[in-house]
Amino acid sequence: MLSSLLLASFILTMIICVVTHTTPHALITSILSEEIQFAIRLSLTTAVVSTILCIAISIPSAYALARYNFFGKSVVNTILDVPLALPPLVAGVGLLIFGMTSFGRGLAEVGLDFVFTPLGIVIAQFFVNVPFMFRILRGTFQSINPRYEHVAETLGCTEAQAFWRVTLPMSKNGLLAGSIITWSKGIGEFGAALMVAGATRMKTETLPISLYLNMSCGELNLAIATATILIIISLISLFVFERYGGFTRVF
Amino acid sequence: MIRIEKISKDLGEFFLRDVNLEIDDGEYFMVLGPTGAGKTILLETIAGIYRADSGRIVLNERDITDVPPRERNIGIVYQDYVLFPFLTVEENIGFGLKSRKVAKREIKHRVDELANLMGVSHLLHRYPGTLSGGEQQRIAIARALSMEPNVLLLDEPLSALDPQTSERLRQELKKVHSVMKTTTIHVTHSFEEAFLLGSRMAVMNKGAIIQVGEPNDVFRKPESEFVADFLGVGNLFQGESIINNGVAYIDLDGIKIASTTLMPGSVHVSIRPEDILVSTAEIASSARNSFKGVIQSVIDVGTTVRIAVDVGINAPFAVAITKQSFEDMKLEKGKEVYITFKASTVHVF
Repeated sequence: MLSSLLLASFILTMIICVVTHTTPHALITSILSEEIQFAIRLSLTTAVVSTILCIAISIPSAYALARYNFFGKSVVNTILDVPLALPPLVAGVGLLIFGMTSFGRGLAEVGLDFVFTPLGIVIAQFFVNVPFMFRILRGTFQSINPRYEHVAETLGCTEAQAFWRVTLPMSKNGLLAGSIITWSKGIGEFGAALMVAGATRMKTETLPISLYLNMSCGELNLAIATATILIIISLISLFVFERYGGFTRVF
Repeated sequence: MIRIEKISKDLGEFFLRDVNLEIDDGEYFMVLGPTGAGKTILLETIAGIYRADSGRIVLNERDITDVPPRERNIGIVYQDYVLFPFLTVEENIGFGLKSRKVAKREIKHRVDELANLMGVSHLLHRYPGTLSGGEQQRIAIARALSMEPNVLLLDEPLSALDPQTSERLRQELKKVHSVMKTTTIHVTHSFEEAFLLGSRMAVMNKGAIIQVGEPNDVFRKPESEFVADFLGVGNLFQGESIINNGVAYIDLDGIKIASTTLMPGSVHVSIRPEDILVSTAEIASSARNSFKGVIQSVIDVGTTVRIAVDVGINAPFAVAITKQSFEDMKLEKGKEVYITFKASTVHVF
């Protein structure tokens, strides 16, 4: 019990150290600065877009792996978990090299240029976070008795309608939990995004990148402002996750 | 009419093997069998949830073997209700009509009608999670009936309920069937349900149909040892029960049987053949029922012998005794014997 109290106070001390490092006035001025405002907007946008991408890709694949048996299923299951184990920096390098292949350059030519662009941030967040969304949704779909879909089909639904009208509403909590995790991890994504999108001020400067840039050139007030915002976002997501989706097992 | 022709389906643990059945319009057909007999998969194959590996299903002269569930118009009700938890009772019952794009006012009207029939009108705005098992099952039945299905499939609908609720719902199923006249296939492992509800019944085991017939015939003339053992009945009578001094006396048109189950009025009575004692002379004992009769027939079924004893009522008593005592007592057809059984072994329903 003592060790858990020590651990808790250690965590709390860390957070308080960051938040109280500057004066409230300096904090507010920094948050309102153009650079931090840009970082906030870019982080929110890229995290929302990558979360939507994660949902769109995870729903069909998680459903297929929860409901159907097919050749190579266990291999697919394992491969989908790889980004979870991979250091984000390595994932970023992989994406960067992929972007420089002829296929990647072809994509860039049709407008999907993700090397050193904001799009790269989205791709990096997606790649690193999609296993979380996928695992939560797979668990959610597995926990829903297929009989609900069977009954819906006898009540005039096609398979797709049964999914849309029954399975999806029943997965609401899992979807919510998955979205919060994916989104908040997207906000904090650093390593992979740094490799793919680089750290260009006012171009690919998300909150974590901004923290890194300002820290390295001694702009402590700006760095603390970014850190404070990141702490607030994490705490809110943690609260919402515990409140609405805490039952879902991630691992 | 629904005709199932040589249907086979293998799902590993559960399977069907060459199942043939023919069920007439408006019939209440019971399927009875132990756990793992393949009853649920039979219903799910009829509903179209599983496609049969071989064989045909013909509904009203139309081959529906490869037709998807939504085009069969066959309703299903499961033991565990399977109500949509995020919809109100009203939306649950109206779910199928919404799929058919029926006008909202018409849906409301039909839902009210069905809720009324099933006695759940006061629950329309509640969510299923807050309701009792009996209430949920009524809603599940109403939801299936909303489609005016060609066939209604009931998968052990009463098994998850407590005895009182189960009995009330059973009576209501009977009432609903007499009102709606929906062709019904009801799966159960309870012989009472089969007997009280079914106009005909099939006994299933290991994915195959073992015997089909009117419940009375199947109970009285089991064609295999499995059916006899599984039903475990053999003795089934009907009579008027009158309660006197804490004991029920059931008049079987000639003899009066005492029972400890106090249920007055017109009842069914069953006694397991192995609960009956046979003796060559009258015995004094605490058992309330003792009758004199004549052995009508003897069937040797391996380790036990089943004898039929005529005691002067419309059907003989089936008695099961070990081969050893059968030989020791030198019993044979035509011999006069006494049968004795305790009032507590007389099952009344």
